[in-house]
Amino acid sequence: MAYAYLFKYIIIGDTGVGKSCLLLQFTDKRFQPVHDLTIGVEFGARMITIDGKQIKLQIWDTAGQESFRSITRSYYRGAAGALLVYDITRRDTFNHLTTWLEDARQHSNSNMVIMLIGNKSDLESRREVKKEEGEAFAREHGLIFMETSAKTASNVEEAFINTAKEIYEKIQEGVFDINNEANGIKIGPQHAATNSTLAGGQGGQQAGGGCC
Amino acid sequence: MNLKKSRNIRSSSSCLDGIGRQDGESKRKRKMAEITQALNATPVNVATLRRMAISEGGLITDEIRCKVWPRLLNVPVENIPEKLDEVNRENDKDYNQVLLDVQRSLRRFPPGMPDEQRMGLQEELIDIILRVLQNNPQLHYYQGYHDIVVTFLLVLGERLATALVEKLSTHHLRDFMDPTMDNTKHILNYLMPIIERVNPEVYECMQQAEVGTIFALSWLITWFGHVLSDFRHVVRLYDFFLACHPLMPIYFAAVIVLYREEEVLECECDMAMMHHLLSQIPQDLPYETLISRAGDLFVQFPPSELAKGVTQECTQQTAASTFTDFGLASAQQRPDTVLRHRRREQQQQQKNGNAVDPQRGTVAVFRPGARRLVRLAVMGITVALGAAALAVVNSALEWAPKLDLQFL
Repeated sequence: MAYAYLFKYIIIGDTGVGKSCLLLQFTDKRFQPVHDLTIGVEFGARMITIDGKQIKLQIWDTAGQESFRSITRSYYRGAAGALLVYDITRRDTFNHLTTWLEDARQHSNSNMVIMLIGNKSDLESRREVKKEEGEAFAREHGLIFMETSAKTASNVEEAFINTAKEIYEKIQEGVFDINNEANGIKIGPQHAATNSTLAGGQGGQQAGGGCC
Repeated sequence: MNLKKSRNIRSSSSCLDGIGRQDGESKRKRKMAEITQALNATPVNVATLRRMAISEGGLITDEIRCKVWPRLLNVPVENIPEKLDEVNRENDKDYNQVLLDVQRSLRRFPPGMPDEQRMGLQEELIDIILRVLQNNPQLHYYQGYHDIVVTFLLVLGERLATALVEKLSTHHLRDFMDPTMDNTKHILNYLMPIIERVNPEVYECMQQAEVGTIFALSWLITWFGHVLSDFRHVVRLYDFFLACHPLMPIYFAAVIVLYREEEVLECECDMAMMHHLLSQIPQDLPYETLISRAGDLFVQFPPSELAKGVTQECTQQTAASTFTDFGLASAQQRPDTVLRHRRREQQQQQKNGNAVDPQRGTVAVFRPGARRLVRLAVMGITVALGAAALAVVNSALEWAPKLDLQFL
């Protein structure tokens, strides 16, 4: 399906915090209580609408384990948005946020929009990290913040869409160079037709593409 | 023990693997007789066992696997202690991670297995992993390791599985068990040169899409245990890999990509699309055909050949990179009479400059000059692969130079 823009996202965070479940809830609107773990990187996509424009989100879901870091790092490059996820029922996943953030900032482009997500908000009784702590961390590091539940779907749409809105605004403000794909933004085929700068390379093949 | 039930289910169904029903039965019986004979020979005829593990249908039943897999890995069963070491879960640095991963591994257990039985096996799975890691502090746990261990557990039971997994971890899987996946990335770099040699068009298409090789990461480090849902296929592949060179999973990965030639060529030339296509492994692959093709490719394009053909900067060449693919890395040889015996035979044959005695399966028919794509008789493949695998290997990278190609 034709889109005006394509935004590339990456989902990062400790293992088992629900990264793949958030993606599955967002792309397929379903929840898998026992989700098989992600080895390397997986990929999902969905179309959303912002400001009347069709935007395709291309989302890279990464393995959380430390050993895979050298592999997943290369996917930061060329991401316009990142969802940094922790599990509100596991304090250690919150404690590791700084490392994740440093890693992300170091390997991504400086304009990348980062959304901090405290996932598993449905498990209130097992909560170890207060919402206020998440908010404070986000404020301190200039991130957007939300608590979500991949299980109940609470705030999942919002998390992905608000990130996209932020990126979209940055485009409007001219912060992003949209002709540079390294920024994780691609102009869709319908726009490309009127935008000769994008005609080269694979542009022509895009018209029929886009399965998602 | 409650494990038995699941094993029986498997044994009775796995006989259909790759062998047609009617004349399959007689073939199967013949094969089983041959395996029994090889096991009863003095010394045990490991070359024949290797050939059986590679050839159509693999090792047929889990009962046979229990006897043959230790031989393929050169683990003397009689030396395995009856009682396993107690595992100290407290204060274990890996325990939490392993627990999390094992809890999520429900899909690896046969559907329909009673919860209680499955939970018992999950406890054993945790213990095996922790035991091996505690005995080998140089090894680092990685997610996906448990996908391999669970296969051994389900086939062999806890005691045998522990011994074999330990051997495998210090050898075939060694490179994956570094603190980082850097060496694993090097191993993945062997994938594209294989594809290039067989089908330059597919290669070109993948290069243009800049798809990289990460789509094959889970295939490699779990020996496909993570991505195949039918357990029978997984164990069939394990028969094959256990009998072969540690880089064989890469050849098998290449064969899968090549088998999907049409899909790859039709795919939108886009990294994400291509990654998505390739990482979704079809569940109805013709395993026997692909296994035989992977063997062919290995013989035609052995790792040393691949390393030669590609312009690259080799940052590091280990001593064993000079290892000629079907020769034996003699320094790695363990004091095992069977292997010593085999090796002398092997060296004798190499000295004679020729391969002999196809019956025994010790011929090395590889000619370095041959570049064309030939279909080799299963015998030939088996023999060459068997010879390669005969040496007690250390790790894949000690067998082959690192290819430092940046595909991503």
